[in-house]
Amino acid sequence: MTVLAVDGVTKSFGGLVAVDDVSLRLESGELRGLIGSNGAGKSTLLNLIFGRLHPDRGSIHFGETDVAGMPASARARLGMGLALQTPSVFESLTVEENLRLGALPKRLTSRNGGATDEVERVLGLIELEPSRRKRAGHLSHGDQQWLEIGMVLLTQPRLLLLDEPTSGMTRPESRHTAALLRQLQESGAVEATIVVEHNIEFIELVSDEVTVMHRGAILADGTIEEVQANPEVQAAYLGRLH
Amino acid sequence: MQPLAELTSGRLRRPPGSPGRHTRRIAEIAVLAMLVALPLVTSDTFLIDRFGRYFLFAIFAISVDLVWGYGGMFTFGHAAFFGGGGYLVAMLTTRSGWFLPVPFWVALPMAVTAAALLALAMAYFVFSGRQALRGVEFAVVTLAVAVLAERLTNAGGAVTGGRNGILMQTHLGIPGLISLHRSYGFYALTGLLLVAVYLGVRRFIRSRSGLVLRGIRDNEDRIDLLGYDVARVKRRAFVVSGALAGLAGALFHVHEGIVSPSAVGVGSSTLVLLWVVLGGRGTLLGPVVGALLLPYLTASLSGTLLDTWLVVVGVILVLVITLLPSGLFGFLSRESEQ
Repeated sequence: MTVLAVDGVTKSFGGLVAVDDVSLRLESGELRGLIGSNGAGKSTLLNLIFGRLHPDRGSIHFGETDVAGMPASARARLGMGLALQTPSVFESLTVEENLRLGALPKRLTSRNGGATDEVERVLGLIELEPSRRKRAGHLSHGDQQWLEIGMVLLTQPRLLLLDEPTSGMTRPESRHTAALLRQLQESGAVEATIVVEHNIEFIELVSDEVTVMHRGAILADGTIEEVQANPEVQAAYLGRLH
Repeated sequence: MQPLAELTSGRLRRPPGSPGRHTRRIAEIAVLAMLVALPLVTSDTFLIDRFGRYFLFAIFAISVDLVWGYGGMFTFGHAAFFGGGGYLVAMLTTRSGWFLPVPFWVALPMAVTAAALLALAMAYFVFSGRQALRGVEFAVVTLAVAVLAERLTNAGGAVTGGRNGILMQTHLGIPGLISLHRSYGFYALTGLLLVAVYLGVRRFIRSRSGLVLRGIRDNEDRIDLLGYDVARVKRRAFVVSGALAGLAGALFHVHEGIVSPSAVGVGSSTLVLLWVVLGGRGTLLGPVVGALLLPYLTASLSGTLLDTWLVVVGVILVLVITLLPSGLFGFLSRESEQ
C-alpha cells in the first residue's frame, strides 16, 4: 500500500529552484534514506511533505488524501511526524512533560495529563528514564534529539520524517538511533519512514532503499549498493557533476 | 517491541511529590497565613481596606501571568479588560434607558462576560490564520488596544463620562444584611475571591490545556508540528485572562466609586507588568506577591517621602530585577508544575 506519493513537486525561492519536479513513492513498511550534498534540496523536500512549506507545483498524497494545501498541524493530525535537524524540544519543561505533550494529541495520557504506560515505554525506549525530571534544556544535544524523536513517536505517526537525526551525535549514539529506527520499523509501530542524512554509515544501517538528490532533483534511486556504484552519484559526491 | 499503537491500561504513574511541589506549597501556605493573620494583628481598617484593593490587583496580575508568564503572550494592554470591566459595570448601573440601570449583581456577570467577549474578538483577530501574531507584533497590537481604549473613553461623552469618567454609588454587599464595601467585609470578599481565582488558575496550569499552553510559551512551532490547534489554546487562555481582569476591574472600580480613562490605558497596563516582573513571571504566586508588595510600598513611601518616593521605588525595582532577574519567586519557575 502506498503511504506517500509525491508527484512533480517543485519549489523555488526567488530565482533558486530548491526542489525541481521531484516524484517519490513510499510503500508501507519502507524505510527510505534521502541523501545528497548540502543544498541538494533534501530538507526542503521534507518540509514540503510535512507542510512547513507549500509547493509551487505538483501534488502530495498521504494515503488517499491530497495534503498539498494543508498546514503542518493538520498533516500531523492525519499521521505524519517530523523530527527536525536542530532539536526542537520544550526547554523549560521536564523530559516527562515533553513526552506527555507528544502523547496528548492522541490522548495517551491520563485525564489530568499524567504519564501513562505508553509514555513510560517511550521513556525507556529512548533511555531517558533517569532524566525524566530534568529540564529538556539541560540535556545533551544527543539526548535532546532522542527526546524529540520520542515525542514524535508518541503522536503515533504512520509516516515518520527525520531530518538528520544523528546530527551532533557521537558514533555510539548514532548506532543506537539506527537500532531504534530499525526496531520501530520492524515492529510495525511506524508504517513508513524517510530519513534525511549526510552520514552514509548510518544510512547503511537503517535503509533498504536510498534516494539521492542533487541540485533539487532526484539523481538516483535504489539499494545502497546500487547508488554507491552509480557513476553519476559518485561524480556528484566527488563534485564532478555540474 | 510492542507496537506503540497498542495502548495498554493507561495507568497513571504519578511520581511521588517532587521537591518543587513542596517548595511551592510551603510558599503558598506562608503567604496565605500572612494574609489571614493581617486582620487579626492590626485594627487599622484603612490598611485592611487597602489590602482588599490589592487583592483585586493580585487577580489582575494573575490574569496577566496566565497569558504572559505561562503562555508567552506579552500583553501591553491588559488594562483594557481591567478598566473595561469597571466601565461596563459603571455604565450598566448608572445609565438609564432600555433595560438600564441594572442592579450591581446583575451588572457584574454582564461586565465579566463582555470582557471575555472582547478578549475573544481580539484573540480571533490576532491568533487566527497564517498571519497569526506573536512576540513583539502581538505586544504592539495590545499596546494599540490600550491607547485606543483610553482615547475612546476620553471621547465617549455622556456614555463614558469623558475625561472625568463615571461616578458610582453602588455598594458592595447584601442590602440590610451585610456590607462588603469597606474594611473587613471587603477584605474577606476580595481575599476569598483571590484564593478561588488562584486555585482555579493553578488547576488550569496543571491540566492538559495548561501543559500545552506552557509548551506554546517554550516552542510554539513545535506545538504546531505535533498537531495542536495553537490558535485555539491561546484563544482559550486569553479569554479566561480577559474575564479575570474584567472581574477584578469591575469590583475595584465599584469599590473606588469612580472609573476614568486612565484605568484602561497604557499606564495601568504597565503597572501590572511591574507587579508580575517583581514577583516572578510564570510562577503564579510571584505576581500575587508583587501586586500586594509594590502598591503597599508605593503607598507607604509616598506618605513619608513626599518628593523622592518615586525615585526610591524605582531604585528598589531596578535592584530586584538586576539581582533577581526571575523575580522574588523566580525559584518557583525552575520547578516542574506537575
